[in-house]
Amino acid sequence: MRVKAVSECRYRKQSFRGVRSQYGAWERVIVHLIIIYSTAAVFADMPPAVKRSVDFVKEVQPILQVACLKCHGPLRQEGEYRLDVGPIALKGGAGYAPNIVPFDSASSPLIQFVAGQSEGMQMPAKGKRLSDEQIGILRAWIDQGATWPDSANEKLEERMEWWSLQPLQFSPPPTIEDCVHPIDSFVRKKLEEKGLHPAPPAEPRVLIRRLYYDLTGLPPTPIELDVFVANTDPAAYENLVDRLLASPRYGERWARHWMDTAHFAETHGHDQDRIREHAWPYRDYLIAAFNQDKPYSQFVRDQIAADVLAPSDPAAIAALGFLAAGPWDESTLRDIREDTLDREIGRYLDRDDMLTNVMNNFISLTVQCARCHDHKFDPIPQADYYALQAVFAGVERANRSYDTSVAVQQARKSLTQRRTQLENVNPSLRSELLGESMQQAVHDWELHQARRVNSWAVLTSQSASCLEGSTLEQQTDGSFLASGIRPDRDTYVIRGCSTLHAITGLRLEVLADSTLPQHGPGRQDNGNLHLSEIEIEIGSGNRLTIASATSDFDQKDWGVSRAIDGKETTAWGIFPQVGESHVAVFEFKDTVKLSAETMITVRLKQLHGGGHLIGRPRLSITSDKNPLDVLSLPGEIESILSLARETRTEEHRLTLALHYERQRVARELASLPKPSLVYAAAADFEPDGGLKPPPGPRPIHRLDRGDIRNPMEKSTAGTLTCLASLPSRFSLAEPMPESERRAALAQWIVHNNNPLTWRSIVNRVWLQHFGRGIVDTPNDFGRLGSKPTHPELLDWLSIRFRDSGQSLKALHRLIVTSETYRQMSSTSENHYFSVENVQQLPRTDLASNVDADNQFLWHMHRTRLDAECVHDAMLMISGQIDLRMGGPSDRQFDLKPGRHVTPIIDYGQFDLDGQSASRRSVYRFLFRTLPDPFMEALDCPAGDQIMPTRANSVTVQQVLAMWNDLLVIRQSEHLAKQLTAQATSTPSRVDLAFQLALGRVPRTTELDRFVAYTQKHGLANFCRLLYNMNEFIFID
Amino acid sequence: MITRHDFLKSSSGGMGSIALLQLLAKNRELVAAPNAQSHGGLHHRAKANRVIQLFMNGGASQMDLFDYKPLLQARHGQKFDPTTSERVEAATSVPGNILGSPFQFLRHGQSGRWVSELLPHMAKHVDDIAVMLSMTSRTNVHGPASYLMNTGFLLPGFPCFGAWVSYGLGSLNENLPTFVVLPDARGLPYNQRGNFSSGFLPVTHQGTAIHASHAEPLHGLRAPSSAKFITPQSERDGLELLNETNREQLVNGDHDARLEARIHAYELAAKMQLSAPEVFDLNQETKATLQDYGLNNPVTEDFGKRCLLARRMIERGVRVVQVWSGSNGPTGNWDNHSSIIKELPPMTQATDQPAAALLTDLKARGLLDDTLLLWNTEFGRMPFSQGSEGRDHNGGASIGWMAGAGVKPGVAIGETDEWSWKAVHDPISNYDFHATVLHLLGIDHEQLIYQHNGANRRLTDVHGHIVKALLR
Repeated sequence: MRVKAVSECRYRKQSFRGVRSQYGAWERVIVHLIIIYSTAAVFADMPPAVKRSVDFVKEVQPILQVACLKCHGPLRQEGEYRLDVGPIALKGGAGYAPNIVPFDSASSPLIQFVAGQSEGMQMPAKGKRLSDEQIGILRAWIDQGATWPDSANEKLEERMEWWSLQPLQFSPPPTIEDCVHPIDSFVRKKLEEKGLHPAPPAEPRVLIRRLYYDLTGLPPTPIELDVFVANTDPAAYENLVDRLLASPRYGERWARHWMDTAHFAETHGHDQDRIREHAWPYRDYLIAAFNQDKPYSQFVRDQIAADVLAPSDPAAIAALGFLAAGPWDESTLRDIREDTLDREIGRYLDRDDMLTNVMNNFISLTVQCARCHDHKFDPIPQADYYALQAVFAGVERANRSYDTSVAVQQARKSLTQRRTQLENVNPSLRSELLGESMQQAVHDWELHQARRVNSWAVLTSQSASCLEGSTLEQQTDGSFLASGIRPDRDTYVIRGCSTLHAITGLRLEVLADSTLPQHGPGRQDNGNLHLSEIEIEIGSGNRLTIASATSDFDQKDWGVSRAIDGKETTAWGIFPQVGESHVAVFEFKDTVKLSAETMITVRLKQLHGGGHLIGRPRLSITSDKNPLDVLSLPGEIESILSLARETRTEEHRLTLALHYERQRVARELASLPKPSLVYAAAADFEPDGGLKPPPGPRPIHRLDRGDIRNPMEKSTAGTLTCLASLPSRFSLAEPMPESERRAALAQWIVHNNNPLTWRSIVNRVWLQHFGRGIVDTPNDFGRLGSKPTHPELLDWLSIRFRDSGQSLKALHRLIVTSETYRQMSSTSENHYFSVENVQQLPRTDLASNVDADNQFLWHMHRTRLDAECVHDAMLMISGQIDLRMGGPSDRQFDLKPGRHVTPIIDYGQFDLDGQSASRRSVYRFLFRTLPDPFMEALDCPAGDQIMPTRANSVTVQQVLAMWNDLLVIRQSEHLAKQLTAQATSTPSRVDLAFQLALGRVPRTTELDRFVAYTQKHGLANFCRLLYNMNEFIFID
Repeated sequence: MITRHDFLKSSSGGMGSIALLQLLAKNRELVAAPNAQSHGGLHHRAKANRVIQLFMNGGASQMDLFDYKPLLQARHGQKFDPTTSERVEAATSVPGNILGSPFQFLRHGQSGRWVSELLPHMAKHVDDIAVMLSMTSRTNVHGPASYLMNTGFLLPGFPCFGAWVSYGLGSLNENLPTFVVLPDARGLPYNQRGNFSSGFLPVTHQGTAIHASHAEPLHGLRAPSSAKFITPQSERDGLELLNETNREQLVNGDHDARLEARIHAYELAAKMQLSAPEVFDLNQETKATLQDYGLNNPVTEDFGKRCLLARRMIERGVRVVQVWSGSNGPTGNWDNHSSIIKELPPMTQATDQPAAALLTDLKARGLLDDTLLLWNTEFGRMPFSQGSEGRDHNGGASIGWMAGAGVKPGVAIGETDEWSWKAVHDPISNYDFHATVLHLLGIDHEQLIYQHNGANRRLTDVHGHIVKALLR
């Protein structure tokens, strides 16, 4: 995976050189002319028309292009005027239309403007003025009739003739001597045309190292290497390819490529860079999808609309993480006021990210460029763009719950429906609840369950005070809500009584509340609280001894036992599980008798500081022997149960049955395996403050100039009009349900007749194998992108891929078994010319001049190992790698609550020998606004932008990271230990290390030098050198 | 093989890149690529060769610093009614009543500029700076606004100003990064490193964060002290052996510039190891200088130290230094929602003297002739109250100032309405601001382009006009 090099450079060349040749050269000419004519040009009369016949395309258009099109061309149309489209140029011109009067240049405003004859209107407005000669040419053209050939127009229809929009076209592989592999036939044909020759095959040792990294991201072991090199079976290579593709390591490697382009990370980004606890299931989906070799169309459908299109595969819901993979602006989309313009702008931008992710990555068109105006280069009108906005108008990014088993999914569905049904008692439900079988069930329950139930009793006759100034107001549910000033520290004193006759335990609920920061349950800005100590007194001065404490959740290093350890410096906290209620139960050493008048006093000391105060506490007590197991019954039910059965009214029976049935449903729901959560596109989810499920798809309007203040007509969900073979609007009845919109888009993408989809994926896979795509701009098959170097091959591969199972593994196999893939990476041309010949050849014949960028693959591209490969290879070579797969990401940093939402993370404080240090880097937690500096130095993207090709840079920061980062240092020490254990002498240790890291044995001279160095400075220093060698970091 | 294009792409503009390019140019012809001309500019003669930007994180309150509005004080406590059709809304609160500035304003300097009592030091320099009173932002939310003011886009992932300059102009030195960021000791700003990211530009152009208060200010400059097996001798011998081994690999007829570039990168890294500590050695400064910057006072020490480091860095050829005031979070920055009276003075007290000292120092040393000093924030604040005495975000009106190379001193550009609610005369957008600063650096903002993911990207997106009134 290299490569960006090539492509970006081309961009650079294009942009800067383009600019220069466009302006630099012309400027020079113009400057020259101005020096000669300047005084005349500014003040004299209008320059005369040249006295000859003028050709529009050859003479006029170049002047317009240089002088006018910057403001009156495809990118901008100042005054709604443009000089690249004939009809507009001839007829338009805002207040001066028409700007061009055929046969009368003197009356043409255009000429008056460029000649400085019009008060206050001098054109070009910027840059050099036109020379008299140029004005003369323009005048002559107008005087000769201002002919503007149609062929010189920028036209929409012509744009549709662009290569990528044409149907896939089958061409059989060309017949080339000695060529059996179809890929080689196509490539060899092009080489022949260019007078180039393929490089010889790479040595087995080089090839196997290349293949291992390419398919699995890990190096071969010395044994695997030796076995392969010694194997004389002609099928040895193919067998190895199959084995590597079957390895789970393959999915880990290739999922990461897709994560780059999906711009996946596990925090929101922006100023409130909150952690997404449930982003990782999408990563696991990807790894599994690659490993299972999911047919590509299914892979696409899953990621856009698994909820509709994969009903039999509920686990595929995790694929919807794709739509939510990018950044999300929490302040704008959740926290600022709902009715602001900023919120509305934020929503359009958020959908822009989703649709861009889909269209760039699946069909390689830059639809996002049509947000403010029709696409400048490709046939994508603004209307199409807003039709795509409408596809995603019904989803937000949120935690989406799903079941991985079909049975559970169905059980949950029917129980949830029942729960909804139980919310409103209609006549049929009423008769069901009062019916015999239900009443019998209630009776059984009463006998066997209800009587055994003891309950938590919320304290009664309560009062509360605060020592430091918080205000606690009692709520109807017996809780107290804190408000008013928020002191740094406080102690709440809550007093109350109970009807229970004894007390065995106390329950403290810290309740979430919408008035609290992050919905609480704490008052700190991040929603956290810290309970330093809890104390309970019965009557006056009888302090109870707490035997044990448990809670539903403990912040790391802030467990609930710290609230009863007698130390005011330690406390219970609940970060990062903020925004939800939590509970702690305290069990007393002894049972203490109570009377109705006994005053119970509870002190909640919250002394940590920083406003870590409980937002809404509620206290209850129990007399059950085992407080931790106590269930609770609502008071109303208790009072009905206390009545004799025969004295109960029908309403009583109904209430009881309803309670029983609701409890049963709740219990059964609770007994189902917990649903999984994935951070994904979702229409229905738990509200989170100001982020609520949309009431339905939001209306989408085309925005003139992309400005929220200029809404135009309403948009109907749909897709692009530029593919003649496929309908662009969905045949769905209004109102289109949002999920159907996504499904329709997915089906349009994976349609057999959508040529973009198949070319896009085949090219993407090719790119990762060779370091350069057949189309060098993998996400842009439009006019600003590159054209394919091997169009016939691209289509041949696309058709084959589409029509034979859409297996990515088969595509990999096809590519890596070609001779093209297996050739040497060396650019030396001594392979096929003798040294003398090379010297005699004209320089222009040398391959390095004919095809310096190696577009035509006359040798293999050499790649620099990417960040993940460097990281994983070091762990593997050092014997530290842990191949456990899946699950929550490894947070390879120290995490502390931040001053605001964004936590404080410190990569320097991470224990590199700890549990979460040694898995493959695809399982690293990806923090968007603060990426791992080591990985970043090696060009690992942060997930802010769609990144179809990674940079492959060589920088000073990077070598500093390789030389000094603690990761490399620690892995060097681990490798040294490993070598010491596995080999006995320094030479044999150096020898083994070379094989592990470089896949070869050292040459004698090398061995001598490194042994000498090792003897002087130790093995660890030698290992550090090894990891810094070019030969380690580059793959030949 | 790598071509020179690739090589330029992957390594130009970074630490020592110009030197690196020259090294390679001996063997290869180089094509047009952003490469600073002898006059320092990319497209035209540059007025400024380097930039120090002081960035006030959180949204500094314009009507409490420079944008004097007596009407607010006169109508303090009354309902805010600007009598326009535009709706009065605030990002995080219900608009309250008019909140007059609780601070006194006086006229200063020859130019008679109004300055609040919160800036006693800068008040003495109003004739040296150009104040922008009519800056605007397209958003009222920190994340997008900070991105906008740093990268020209509301969304993450775009290259910031410093990265563009590094990309366009390259480095002035071999031993230090091209673009350095000095975050507040309290922590990173809103968007954290997103504000100084190189986005889709090569990573070498990103801002190198230097934590002035840390024991090891520049991460990775030397091996961690916990690595006991590494000694100065093992380091020296090791780099020598590495160099020798890497060079041997070149002798096979291969023309891969990256292999050579990587060898050279180790040499540059070694140079940086030697020269970087010298930058941080403030013992070289006189006691008077340290005092001017406020290093003797805990209130001004952190910002003062970083301003002084910024000067030392540009002296040594760092091209862009960004100094932040304030970290993300509800307090300790310029985001004064709860009380302008209690929250703003600590920010001005910490920064006013150091900023003024930096300006004076640059001037005294002649550095201001080709150095641009910028003072910015992501947006302004509201003329009406949030709660009783705080102010909510305001993208409609904001301030900034600039001084130095090519900047007209002693002027004030633009005007807000009588409330300082919206900029009404000569509004300056982030695009205009960036276009102007790039212009001073010899760059045409419309020509500094990079193609990414199918679009031609610029710091100024598709906008931006040079604010001529700011230019000398």
